[in-house]
Amino acid sequence: MNRNGRKWWRTNKHKLEPARQNSPSPYAHLTLSKETKENLQTLQDIYSKCSDVIFRPFYIGKTIKAHVVFISGLCTVQDVDQYVLTPLMQANENEFPDMEQMAEQVLAVSRIKNLATIADCIEEIGSGNPVLLWEGEERALSLGLAKWEKRNIEEPSAEVGIRGPREGFTETLDVNTSQIRRRIKDPALKMERMKIGGYTQTEVIVAYMEGIVDQTLVEEAKARLNRIQIDGILESGYIEEMIEDNPASPFPQLKDTERPDTACSALLEGRVVILVDGTPFALIAPVTFFALFQAAEDYYQRYIISTAIRWLRYLFLGISLLLPSLYVAIITFHQEMVPTSLLISMAASREAVPFPGLVEALLMEITFEALREAGVRLPKQIGAAVSIVGALVIGQAAVDAGLVSAPMVIVVAITGIANFMVPRYSVGTAVRLLRFPIMFLAGTLGLLGVMLGLIAIVVHLCTLRSFGVPYLSGISPLKPKEWKDILYRSPWWAMKTRPHFTGEFNQYRQAPDQKPGPERSEDP
Amino acid sequence: MKRILLTLLMMSLLFLGGCWDRTEINDLAIITGAAIDAADDNQIELSVQVFIPRALSAGRGSTSSGGNLTLVKSAKGASIADAIALLQTKIPRKIFWGHCEVFIFGEDMAKRGIAEEMDFLVRHPQPRERAYMFVSKGKAAKTLELRPELERYSSEVIREMSDMHIGMLVTIIQLKEMLRGKSNAAALPLIDVMPPPNEAKGLETAPYIMGTAVFRKGKMVGEINEKATRGVMWIRGEVERYTVTAKLKNVQGTVSLNPIHSDIKFIPSIRNGQWQMTIKAKTEGDVVQNGTNLDMSNPEMIKLVEKAFQQDIEDRIELALKQVQHEMKADIFDFATDFYREYPQEWKAAKNNWDEIFPNVKVITDIHAYVRRPGLVTLPGGIPEEEVREK
Repeated sequence: MNRNGRKWWRTNKHKLEPARQNSPSPYAHLTLSKETKENLQTLQDIYSKCSDVIFRPFYIGKTIKAHVVFISGLCTVQDVDQYVLTPLMQANENEFPDMEQMAEQVLAVSRIKNLATIADCIEEIGSGNPVLLWEGEERALSLGLAKWEKRNIEEPSAEVGIRGPREGFTETLDVNTSQIRRRIKDPALKMERMKIGGYTQTEVIVAYMEGIVDQTLVEEAKARLNRIQIDGILESGYIEEMIEDNPASPFPQLKDTERPDTACSALLEGRVVILVDGTPFALIAPVTFFALFQAAEDYYQRYIISTAIRWLRYLFLGISLLLPSLYVAIITFHQEMVPTSLLISMAASREAVPFPGLVEALLMEITFEALREAGVRLPKQIGAAVSIVGALVIGQAAVDAGLVSAPMVIVVAITGIANFMVPRYSVGTAVRLLRFPIMFLAGTLGLLGVMLGLIAIVVHLCTLRSFGVPYLSGISPLKPKEWKDILYRSPWWAMKTRPHFTGEFNQYRQAPDQKPGPERSEDP
Repeated sequence: MKRILLTLLMMSLLFLGGCWDRTEINDLAIITGAAIDAADDNQIELSVQVFIPRALSAGRGSTSSGGNLTLVKSAKGASIADAIALLQTKIPRKIFWGHCEVFIFGEDMAKRGIAEEMDFLVRHPQPRERAYMFVSKGKAAKTLELRPELERYSSEVIREMSDMHIGMLVTIIQLKEMLRGKSNAAALPLIDVMPPPNEAKGLETAPYIMGTAVFRKGKMVGEINEKATRGVMWIRGEVERYTVTAKLKNVQGTVSLNPIHSDIKFIPSIRNGQWQMTIKAKTEGDVVQNGTNLDMSNPEMIKLVEKAFQQDIEDRIELALKQVQHEMKADIFDFATDFYREYPQEWKAAKNNWDEIFPNVKVITDIHAYVRRPGLVTLPGGIPEEEVREK
């Protein structure tokens, strides 16, 4: 407590300035006037010191003064020259009484929008569309010529598969929506557009399948998105953190994907997909713990193999979470648990190690994490060098120097491999992190501690929800019908229903009895 | 803020109370075998074989005859627990019993009685209940000092040998059951040290299982040799791997068989005060060597072999019974439990006199032996076809 009797942790509170509001825009009240000069002046004031905004005055025909305003780089100059300036300048202004007719007959631009306010103009200019201002008109015309340099569609680098489509989302929203629309042609696929971010005005699309999705889910998603008031959205991670159910959890409560096919399958299961402009990562909600272990490829290769691989993933999830802890617990507390000959080898290799088991494990695990993080961040050319140094340091040199024992190196290596078995990077990182507290518990309480840690994690998972859906849905609450995509990947002809928690209104995916096989006669 | 403080406080609990029973492997003296011998003044001498980790880590594979992987330390005391306390003062690391899989009683100790020391083994949490128990001819400690050539240390040798079921295999828990059972008798494998190939090699030899030590009321009363042991194992239904070589009547040469399956049943009965036990056995075997001129594809010939097979087993059982039942009067077959189950009333009346009743129990053997497979060849492998006897 300090002198004025207030608790020390309460003294620092300031009143925070309220964030800039999403809407209404500060220019919303300004309507366009008949005087182009006035309009132009307003826009020029707004875009003062913006060297990339171009104001181009010209005459329609010979007499009507007009201006085209656009941002260089967000549309091609050739397009503006060819489809806007040339036809308008060559037109006979007397043939057309007003702007509307002129636009209909002269402008060879398919996307045209009438604008009534300055705010509208700013929005259109900002999104790259040239705006046409016209002497004597109270409105402006937005010309849909926005076009900018963008990355090509490439293979998604974070979700690689051997079989399956090779294209991934890009940073451009329209490209992403087109990839989804190309896969789902039915008009039931709805894409609702909204803008989030006070300055960035980032376009966000909520996509869902009408008739499959639970409408309350869509409303909830939109409500949560509308609640966001932030200056900018640069990646879908911003949105993920703003709309998830439990912010104090290491586990992701929305699934992110780079693959249009994964997004489409989520849509068909009755989930909501949130696409964000400027990032190739779309968000899928709701999601369960087990859905995070489903890779796109599981559904493209034979179901028997997919099932086996899924089990391998669960096994390695356990290994990546527990192996170092089990090793620490057993070598420090439960030496009687290992077979004699193994214990003897372990004792022999640990003989020269100066640290207790826990310290040894932490040393190695932290080094490994550091190497991995360094490997991710470093430029590609240096990355290879790091991996060589890492392999040498962690592997041979550390053992030879007597810093760590050889079994510990094996444990760390297996744990590292195990972590990459989890198809979602976001779950993998959560498990990576949770390994450390469990290691501490193992080092202090032995197997009892490991069990305590596990119980705590399971309890936490049970309390988690993703958009109201229990995180462990299928196992807890127990729904044997859902096991078709949790415990095993059933063949497509047996995958009859959509997941219970999302597709309740349109339960059946397919016609019954489609198991392939020879024709069976009707009567026995 | 309060929550963070609370969490921190709770976290600190982990570290405050946590590591009290933590022991690093580096601080353990891993005991691989223990020997309990009788000493003067009614004391016992406990010897332990301790694994030396450095010997293995230094050599890395080249640990043949040069380095010694284990060391043996002994201490005397009134009981095992007492001796351990003394032993601990001689070993810089914490004595760890969790991997001690072999306990050997010296012959003198066995004769004096093992009941007292058994209590430690079953009461203390560290020794494994599945550790193997042995009695050694002479002093037990000498077995631990041997340096076998094939295995890493001598207790591993006896453990591996027991696993092959060539002799009896008794674990701590089984011995406890025997000692506390109705019959009040027990049997433990008896080991001895093979004489070294030459004087120079001294300790470079290995122990082997030479027979069985028979206990009555916790004290060793006698020993039986390897052959009688087989009979005992037959009766106890523990036979797994061995070869029966039978001599056929009126035929030159012998036939060897490997029994692959046997089924033993005890049928107790009391008739007119005469306690009687029928041992029913059914066994099957494969021919592994045929030194006679019999054609093994001929059922008639097989019958002859079966008869000899049966006779051999009967002889073995007879031998075991003669020594164990009539001479040592120790019910290591646990007939007592069978009588108790079948005739609880009679057992109740007679249980105090079981020592007198047991030697007089009439044992009837009813053995059925079958030869199921003649092996890869049907005719004798080493003689011309004309000499094969077909009838």
